[in-house]
Amino acid sequence: MSKSRPTSAALLPQSGKANSMLWVITTLVVAAMPQFVLMSLPLAMACLFPVLWRIMAELKDWQPLPAWIRYFAVGLALALLAFSYGDLFGRRASVSLLTIMLCLKLLECHRIRDARLVVSFSFFLCTTQFLFAQGLIMPLYGAATVLLGLVALAQLQRVEAFSNKQKIPASSAPLLAELGFSLRLLLLALPVCLAFFVLFPRWGSPLWGVPETTLDARSGLSDNMSPGSIENLFMDDSTAFRVEFTGNPPSQADLYWRGPVFWRYDGRTWSSSFYGRNIAAAALPEETDTSWRYRVQLEPNERNWLFALDYPTAAPPDARITLDFQLLQRQPVTQLVQYNMVSDPNFTDTPELQMTIRSMALEVPDKLNPRTREMIEQWRSETPQDAALIRRALDWFNQEPFHYALNAPLLGSQAIDSFLFDTRTGYCEHYASAFTVMMRMAGIPARIVTGYQGGWYNTAADYYLIRQSDAHAWSEVWLEGSGWTRVDPTAAVSPLRVERGSLGAINQPRHMLDFSWVRSLRNSVDVMEKRWNTWVIDYNHQRQTRLFEGLGLGQMRPLDLVILLFAVLGVLAIILLPILLRTRGPNSRDPVQQVWQKYLKRLKQTGFQPWPSQGAEELARAAEVELPEQADKIRRISDLYNRLRYAPEPPALQELRVAVREFRPRKSA
Amino acid sequence: MPSQALTATSMRPGPRFNRWILERVRQRRGSPQLPFKLEYRHIYVMPTVFGAWFGLLLATTLIGGLNFNNNMALLIGFLLAAIAQLTTLLAYRNLVGMELSAIRAEPVYAGESAQFRVYLSNPEAKHRYALQLRSDSDRDARDIEINETAVLVLKQASMQRGWLDMIPFNIENRFPLGMFRAWTVIIPKARCLVYPRPSSHPPPLPRSGRGDEGAARVGEGEHFHGLRKYRPGDALKSIAWRASARHDKLFTREYESPQQQACELNWYLMPEVSVEEKLSILTAWIVKAERLMIPYSLELPTDALPADLGPEHRDACLKILALFGT
Repeated sequence: MSKSRPTSAALLPQSGKANSMLWVITTLVVAAMPQFVLMSLPLAMACLFPVLWRIMAELKDWQPLPAWIRYFAVGLALALLAFSYGDLFGRRASVSLLTIMLCLKLLECHRIRDARLVVSFSFFLCTTQFLFAQGLIMPLYGAATVLLGLVALAQLQRVEAFSNKQKIPASSAPLLAELGFSLRLLLLALPVCLAFFVLFPRWGSPLWGVPETTLDARSGLSDNMSPGSIENLFMDDSTAFRVEFTGNPPSQADLYWRGPVFWRYDGRTWSSSFYGRNIAAAALPEETDTSWRYRVQLEPNERNWLFALDYPTAAPPDARITLDFQLLQRQPVTQLVQYNMVSDPNFTDTPELQMTIRSMALEVPDKLNPRTREMIEQWRSETPQDAALIRRALDWFNQEPFHYALNAPLLGSQAIDSFLFDTRTGYCEHYASAFTVMMRMAGIPARIVTGYQGGWYNTAADYYLIRQSDAHAWSEVWLEGSGWTRVDPTAAVSPLRVERGSLGAINQPRHMLDFSWVRSLRNSVDVMEKRWNTWVIDYNHQRQTRLFEGLGLGQMRPLDLVILLFAVLGVLAIILLPILLRTRGPNSRDPVQQVWQKYLKRLKQTGFQPWPSQGAEELARAAEVELPEQADKIRRISDLYNRLRYAPEPPALQELRVAVREFRPRKSA
Repeated sequence: MPSQALTATSMRPGPRFNRWILERVRQRRGSPQLPFKLEYRHIYVMPTVFGAWFGLLLATTLIGGLNFNNNMALLIGFLLAAIAQLTTLLAYRNLVGMELSAIRAEPVYAGESAQFRVYLSNPEAKHRYALQLRSDSDRDARDIEINETAVLVLKQASMQRGWLDMIPFNIENRFPLGMFRAWTVIIPKARCLVYPRPSSHPPPLPRSGRGDEGAARVGEGEHFHGLRKYRPGDALKSIAWRASARHDKLFTREYESPQQQACELNWYLMPEVSVEEKLSILTAWIVKAERLMIPYSLELPTDALPADLGPEHRDACLKILALFGT
């Protein structure tokens, strides 16, 4: 009996066309799209197989797969997952698990409630994606998922309502109208959604821990440097951070955004030092009138570095300034961070160099690079002054045939030797690395600084955009009297790199889509992205508090916010409810007659003239004579019309409507 | 039967809640006067199981979003919550203003299911999507257009002859997403006449006098006997709707008056069996006489009808049998 079972347990219809299941599948596929893209290939195949199978099964009326195949598929997928991620509890891995399970659910999704489960978990899957990315494309992705999911749910509701019927009556709404309905629903819900978004009390501190990593290492710079590491970044046009200056910005050549600093060199790789990272800066510059004041909006990079110009006067909250002026945040940057900075360029970093640090800044592997060592020893004997030696080295880079290029050849074990004397082709990190080693060999303390150089100034919105491709490496040498001093050997080889940014220095396109108009399009999109970041992504407890203080409402407690929220919802209800619940009075026109008139019009188009006095039956007989090939349809229409008018159990008006719609007599020649 | 249904389903909270609502409606509103227009005070809106589950999922999303201050997740979560909230209104709107104009049921024989035809009219200028009727025994659904009067059918098993009262039913819908159900409870006054169950092996028809059935065309195509194609001008009530519906063509019933001896169906001349058995046999005889087009008279201890033939006569006789002794 129907009463003993909830209707949601009813089976989904097996019909191929206008199938609600196809909507469910589309929703799932769209929701899982960002995940699919990042999965390993076998894993993505394991997800796509059930999806494709189900689509085919819907279109071709295939039977369900036997249970053992389904269990086998689940086992295989889990094994693949464990193999790809190593564990199943990382964030990406658990989202992949959810994705793969939802895809596999399609193999045995035969009831309405199963389908609803898939749709609602698709929504959930969609929200999990925002843990990994919150760029400007994501709201579109979210809206698409919600729209498709709403259509799927609406269809499932129809299936459920008519589940004891042979067939579901064709809904009068074709595909576009279904989407339109969902869109209307979404737009109507938007004001309420925004009210909740702005007014719902935010938590000042999380109840449970924010994880250390978000796994999608979009991280720009790494914590060590060996040839080739920045080359990958160079291809990456994604945003590293954005900077807005108050007052006059520095010139392009002064825009050295300081990041990780490296001290130790093993002949191949540069890495940071314990001292550098863990000892706080001895002295910080004072803030003066000539200091640069700016605000940085840093995209998540899963590292602890914050970027600033030399030399920061104070660390942002939750961050510290180290001995080598790295700006380290306590937690990795897993979410968009905004901070205000003041930097003073006229500051002497470490006027007195301690012995331990000095010796660390002079360390070079002993037995490596004999040719370089030989040359430096010769230079040293000819040029005893430190400053002059540095000048000489830079001139040498400038005059010898060195090239600034992307595809640098691999270097052997004597990396510096082969770079300086054989290949002579490379980019910032090669030059910085070689130069630093040369200085150390000459007895001048030196270290490597990585970070970003330059930035694209957006004239429309007055801010600098720094991309990952702006990554850069330079050297610092310690000189008596002026402390640590920046020296950029790359500038000696390719001055354009510093003046025009990384893209100005290279003539060859970096990849297939590397056209200037694509870049300028990206740049204007970035303006929107910045606003999106400022207004939506970075909205939090502090900004909420400040917003209401700015509106003159003072300090709002959570309870006040809730009261305000309800007040706003009340106002929205007063506006929206009459629109939603308005009733239009009875329609004076008879719907059956409307459809009938349409039918008469179609008849007249063929040249046939009905008389006003003809009843349906008479008309049909006359029309049959005129249009014998349409006789069946004419019969059916007049029969439906009669039954609609007179039968105690009239058929649905929709039947007549469909019959008339399908009645397309050809015009008589 | 109701007590059975109660024990079978009272374990679930849903039916118990429904029963509680039903009691409330019975006390406050009782049976509605038809036509009955659905107004705001008649309509309840509650989340469905799916709706509750979806709410739980949303709550999880929102708590996670608040904890990580993940604004995109919060936006989508709030958006879905707002949409779900909106659908309560849409479900209500889809129902309010509908008019329950009539409930009819053709008599049935005991054991068959009674078909209550519920006439729902939509006087307002808006489409109604997937409106459902639902009783403990059956459900039906229809889209109803502007100004349309739709007929929805609720079946109900008939066990014994006499009047069968229609059980309470809901007019409800879960439009548009199935997360909320808006419904109203109707305690109808409608009833269906249930004729006695025709005996499956009745004794032969009792004949009085010369049993010459001569002219009757027995045996050849009994079902189509007396039907012909509809001709314009035929009386509406002579149209054979069932046959017409079956063949998608209009048929008219033709009445012939064969020259036949009437048979006399007399309570006192029947074999000695129980009262119900007698009624059952009489019913079977009437059905058979109608089929063979032999006029018949009926005599019961309570009532008597002279010999005649035709649907009115048959219905009158069967009604006497159905209500015999009540």
